[in-house]
Amino acid sequence: MSIEDTGAWGRRLNRAWIILAGITILSVGVALLSPPGQRAGLVSVLAALAASFVKARQVLDHFLDLRRAGPGWRGGFNALLALILGICLACYLAALGR
Amino acid sequence: MSGSTREGGWGALSDLPGNPIMWVLIIGEMLVFGALLIGFAVVRLLHPQMVLAGQSALSIPLGGLNTLILVTSGWLAAHAVRLRSDGDIGGSRLRLAGAGALGLAFLAVKGVEYADKAARGLGIETDAFWTLFYLTTGFHAAHVAMGVILLGIVGWKNTSENLETGAAFWHMVDLVWLILFPLVYLLR
Repeated sequence: MSIEDTGAWGRRLNRAWIILAGITILSVGVALLSPPGQRAGLVSVLAALAASFVKARQVLDHFLDLRRAGPGWRGGFNALLALILGICLACYLAALGR
Repeated sequence: MSGSTREGGWGALSDLPGNPIMWVLIIGEMLVFGALLIGFAVVRLLHPQMVLAGQSALSIPLGGLNTLILVTSGWLAAHAVRLRSDGDIGGSRLRLAGAGALGLAFLAVKGVEYADKAARGLGIETDAFWTLFYLTTGFHAAHVAMGVILLGIVGWKNTSENLETGAAFWHMVDLVWLILFPLVYLLR
């Protein structure tokens, strides 16, 4: 496996940080603008969990550098994340129907 | 050391950056925190009004501030690893010190948050929401404290592998918070 140029590596880390900070600021802004005391709807639940998945992947791929560890490890961590968030999603969807 | 291959009898774990034992710990921690967060979602399903009332007492701005603090800290730690691989030990230590300082800032914000809840009489025994809240966020905060110590140690014993290992733990702490924050604070 070739070693990445350190400048490109640095730019990749900076991009990941911008994505992480951007999604965080956006999701906090949306939450603060939502009416207080109201339950989240389906779109909000899906958007929040999808944003969590994207942020987790940024940390895994770029900060933890899993992109260099091969598809098996990336797939394994993707599956673990999807399992945790998927079970949470199932609970949230069940709560919507109550 | 991004990109190198190690020998040493660790099998597939040898492909991961840093010490393989740290990755065993990271996977174990992700499973533990995953179980806690699933527990949180189940309690929300069973007691929606109790959880909504509890979440209404949480501070989204403080939680969001702590998220920005942790992702910035993780970014600095990742740059520390990059600079060390390039032989820039001074630059690497500087960024690691910044990452550790932000870790302390996270704990300070968490302390402010806990003090506010305590002043309002919201303790670990108030109800199931607050039990899970203190258990999950307190366990995470303990990992942040451990991570700050670990960053200090690998900043001192500044080999590439030590740095990768310490930073990997720190990124796991970051990763857990990125999943915890929306589930506990944002999704109501």
